[in-house]
Amino acid sequence: MKKRLSLMLVTLMAFGSILAACGGGEETAKTDTTTPTETATTDNKTDETAATDEAEPAAEGESDAIGLTEATDMNSNPEAAKARTDSMIIGTTAPQGVFNPLFHQTAYDVAIDDTIFAGFIKVKGDGTYENDMADDIKISEDNKTYTFHIRDGAKFSDGTPVKASDYLFTMKLYMDASYDGQSDPLSWNIVGANEYNKGTAKEISGIKVVDDQTVSVTVSDYDAMTQVNLGGIAILPEAYYGKGYKQGDLTTVKALNTKPMGAGAYKMKNYSAGQEVDLVANENYYGGVAKVPNIIFKTTTDTTNMAMLQSGETDLDNITVNEDNVEELKSMGFLDVDVLKNNGYGYVAMNNKKPMFADVKVRQALTYGLNRAEVVDAAYGPYAEVINIPQSDVSWAYTADKINPYDYNPEEAKKLLDEAGWKVGADGIREKDGKKFEINFSATAENPVVDALIPIMTENYQELGIKLVTETLDFNAIMEKKDRGDYDMFFAAWGLTPDPDSTVYITDGAQNNSGYSNKEVDALYAKGKKELDLNKRKEIYAEAYQKINADAPEILMYQRTNMLAINGRLDGWDITPYKEYQHSLSQVEVAQ
Amino acid sequence: MEQPENRTEQLQEQLKIVKTESPWKIAVRRFAKNRLALIGLVILVIMFLICFVGPFFSQYTLNETDVKNRNSAPSSLHWLGTDKLGRDIMLRVMLAGRISLTVGLVATAISVVIGATLGAVAGFYRRYADTIIMRIADVFLALPTLPILITLGAILSDLKVAPEKRIYFLMLIIGILGWVGLARLVRSQILTLREQEFMQATEALGLRDNRKIFRHLMPNTIPIIIVSATLGVAGAILTESALSFLGLGVVPPTPSWGNMINAANNLIDFRKRPWIWIPPGMCILITVTAINLIGDGLRDALDPKMKNR
Amino acid sequence: MSQYIIRRLLQMIPTLIGISIIVFAISQMVPGDYITASQNPNMTAERADQLRAIYGLDKPPVQQYFVWVKNMLTGNLGDSFQHKMPVTKVINTYVWNSFAIAIVTLILSWTIAAFVGVFSAQFQYSFFDKVVTLLVFLLMSLPSFFIGLLAIKYFALDLTWFPTGGMTSAGLNASGFAYIKDVASHMVLPVTVMTVLNVGGLTRYFRTGMLEVIRQDYIRTARAKGLKERTVIFKHAFRNALLPAITLLGFELPGLFGGAMILERVFAWPGIGQIYLASLNMRDYPLMLGFTMFLAVLTLLGNLLSDILYGVADPRIRLK
Repeated sequence: MKKRLSLMLVTLMAFGSILAACGGGEETAKTDTTTPTETATTDNKTDETAATDEAEPAAEGESDAIGLTEATDMNSNPEAAKARTDSMIIGTTAPQGVFNPLFHQTAYDVAIDDTIFAGFIKVKGDGTYENDMADDIKISEDNKTYTFHIRDGAKFSDGTPVKASDYLFTMKLYMDASYDGQSDPLSWNIVGANEYNKGTAKEISGIKVVDDQTVSVTVSDYDAMTQVNLGGIAILPEAYYGKGYKQGDLTTVKALNTKPMGAGAYKMKNYSAGQEVDLVANENYYGGVAKVPNIIFKTTTDTTNMAMLQSGETDLDNITVNEDNVEELKSMGFLDVDVLKNNGYGYVAMNNKKPMFADVKVRQALTYGLNRAEVVDAAYGPYAEVINIPQSDVSWAYTADKINPYDYNPEEAKKLLDEAGWKVGADGIREKDGKKFEINFSATAENPVVDALIPIMTENYQELGIKLVTETLDFNAIMEKKDRGDYDMFFAAWGLTPDPDSTVYITDGAQNNSGYSNKEVDALYAKGKKELDLNKRKEIYAEAYQKINADAPEILMYQRTNMLAINGRLDGWDITPYKEYQHSLSQVEVAQ
Repeated sequence: MEQPENRTEQLQEQLKIVKTESPWKIAVRRFAKNRLALIGLVILVIMFLICFVGPFFSQYTLNETDVKNRNSAPSSLHWLGTDKLGRDIMLRVMLAGRISLTVGLVATAISVVIGATLGAVAGFYRRYADTIIMRIADVFLALPTLPILITLGAILSDLKVAPEKRIYFLMLIIGILGWVGLARLVRSQILTLREQEFMQATEALGLRDNRKIFRHLMPNTIPIIIVSATLGVAGAILTESALSFLGLGVVPPTPSWGNMINAANNLIDFRKRPWIWIPPGMCILITVTAINLIGDGLRDALDPKMKNR
Repeated sequence: MSQYIIRRLLQMIPTLIGISIIVFAISQMVPGDYITASQNPNMTAERADQLRAIYGLDKPPVQQYFVWVKNMLTGNLGDSFQHKMPVTKVINTYVWNSFAIAIVTLILSWTIAAFVGVFSAQFQYSFFDKVVTLLVFLLMSLPSFFIGLLAIKYFALDLTWFPTGGMTSAGLNASGFAYIKDVASHMVLPVTVMTVLNVGGLTRYFRTGMLEVIRQDYIRTARAKGLKERTVIFKHAFRNALLPAITLLGFELPGLFGGAMILERVFAWPGIGQIYLASLNMRDYPLMLGFTMFLAVLTLLGNLLSDILYGVADPRIRLK
């Protein structure tokens, strides 16, 4: 019996700690720069890197806690780290070994692929894009034809030039009927893609190879994301991946997942599953050979990642942000500690389709009546902030103008509930039409926010005369309740992509969890998606956020931070919340 | 050499029965004489008393958070310090004990009853009974627990079972999942016991099967059952928190020793804030030790081979 | 005996069929599937339908079951959704790392438990026995990740005797003996912690088994004959105290290949436990089902093995 129980215990406890570290969908993270929507995660401790650059002007109301703290005492750097003059070791959660930008799924595979592969464009520090392997991009008058010109000297790591036909080949793989990666390539609306997917055409009619360095792509419909969708894909060499590929069968391509080849700054030397990935500088990289010749991605876990930085076994790692960890890392002296805004936010969803939440006054009351500042402080201390619009405050689309902060105000909440017709009953619980105000609330366990949220929320709502019944559940189980619409309230988090376009708040949107519907918001999101001028988009989204803020479709909770600890001997980073550390690896050098 | 001794023993046994003192009375008398076992029992009773009565004397309440005083060391205000939300650990440990003691004991009792009975039946009858019971045991062992638990959690949630009632399901689930190991252990013991001389005697006396199993075979497996049960209690207490995460047990902020000890899941808490993990850890240790002392006493009391001291 | 073994092997067929049906049914009942679990930011209803069609998840469950079983009979467990490679290859990549620490742990913990158990039985209620008992309970009262952390803190960070985690040193370019030496130094801590945890319970079983036997008449007889104490204990008593141990040994077989989810995580060991857990969380059914069936076969074999060994340990046992 002991054996059985302990076996089960092992299973379950491990599950618990997994939740603590990455949550149900956390590992999926952002797939690549071409993802225009948001991702649901059980927002938790470690996930993909994001960072605010130190030079960036601090956003309004930002505390000192956020930003870069430089190493103070490089003399204390351990010998193990000092001895590595031609290499760096990056601590990472184990990648799954899917080193192919078409198929990768976890943020950890993505980080490695970002160093091996390159595309026509790349993300900039502010979340907009700039040219990478393309030196010229022309867009036709009607915004439907995009012509990319590949710069001279762009080569794959085997020395062969990157050609327009390689781009066409990569697109074919995306459009293949057996493609099961994370992207939704048919939604890019490339002319002829559907025919290729169904097998009725051998070529994609909308993609034309003009010459070796020029390719033009025609789409049937465009939006603000079209250029990013088309230019953002990493280009795979046809000569390497094309051997044995037949339309409708990607088996031979997938077989090369652990032996990737691209046109990025590094190439793969060795991969030991679950242990490490060894990369060496690509001497054919068009951007100049990387300054640190060797990079090792070594598997670490949240129990040991700090210890390994301390002993000099790793040079860089993501560490869970909390006061203890920040203090510990800073006290080591030889680490640059970068606390960066996370691209995402946590929220408490309300089922807008249920009668009690359909009333905007009730939703506002529940927002006013919850002491969000206390919850956030208890969970993250100074390393997270209460938010009031569903956008990161470092995004170009962020606005604080005409936004109601919903500061904790139980009196206002009670007033709104009274106005909505929910009167306090004999037992202290509000009721309306004979129905008690009782809310079922689901959340995942082992999450610092939920740990703080449940007791505080229970007490706050009790004061309003609302009975809160709480439960903890498996993340997927909560998501299934959501899909069926069989819930009152749940806690979850969204990851944000650089572009503000999203389906979270539009009527029946694919990611609309709460059933919120406002025709004006729908129209604004549609307009914003179709508008290509950044300043005009800014205004459109500001207006949308103001309306969402007033409607309070869900209780927005917080935007938290991530923390990157980097050995002070490495210089030359350019890291922001949108431009992750791997994007500047090729410029980093060892300062001795 | 062995035969005569055995006979005298059996004679003694029969004589006892003649003296009209029931085996249970003997057991109680023997147990009461066992000093260590009594100490174990007293400790356990005190634990129960503190956990069920203690919270009424606390000046704090369960949902009371005090973020400003979080993670504070033991003091005159908070005898055992506070946790990361500033809650009084003393109160939480006592409240947690209500859950953990109940879960540990009830769940273990369930699995012991199922496991010992099925194991004994399988070992005694062999053939079809053995085949059927042991194949079912095989299936139980081979099934992946985690997906089953996730599914059950989701079902309970959909049925809107009140969170405070889910604790009963929790005990049942831990109990049901735990019977297989003990069943196989008891069965192996019975397989060898049934071939020993004293069983031939019961055969000769024409005793009925259930008497043979429960009066003559089972008492000999008590030691192994007790080891299994002590290990099981600790396991069940720690398992509770993992099941609770999936909606099958208690819901935060309700504390349990398991979820309190899980809250200290990093090296910094471990080093800097021992008051977070030592109290629940100590409670589990004391409980398990007490149960083991009681178990040893029970074994000696129930063991037919022990002389009547 | 061979007849018994053959019959038991034949019985495994319906048992496995039963397990496969139940396991498959559970996979159908668990909330969410790979498509929802991966929380793809691009996912539209149309794309989700396309993916389900590619994976065959759109077919009726009964049909999916038969496709799965048919493939399994030909040794094809399908492709892992997450890893985009055959399940057998995924298992093969990671399972041996788990096996390496599990087998060393098994040997160590059984040897230690046997000795400790026997001595604490022989000197029941002695100081040694009491210390061992208390230690065992102490270890049982703390979750395993906690004991793992403890070991890392003292032996890796403070004393720096052993590496904190992983299976090899980063960038190690060694082969042969140097490689084995490196792996061995990484194995010390996980193996020690697992052994310590394992020994606890085992010791209790050995101790009890011995206590029972020592009191029996034939041991008294053996002693009376003037046999040396060591001979009495190890030759006569120990053999009969083995029955519970054999039962537990049968349970170890799937454990050898099953991986240790928590400790593999604590020590960043590249084992199968973590991979299996991820397959559950991501609803990667081919991997989850394939590995479950693999462990199921081992479980059945383990129990069969212990049933056969009963007869070896105690010839009086007649299994029918």
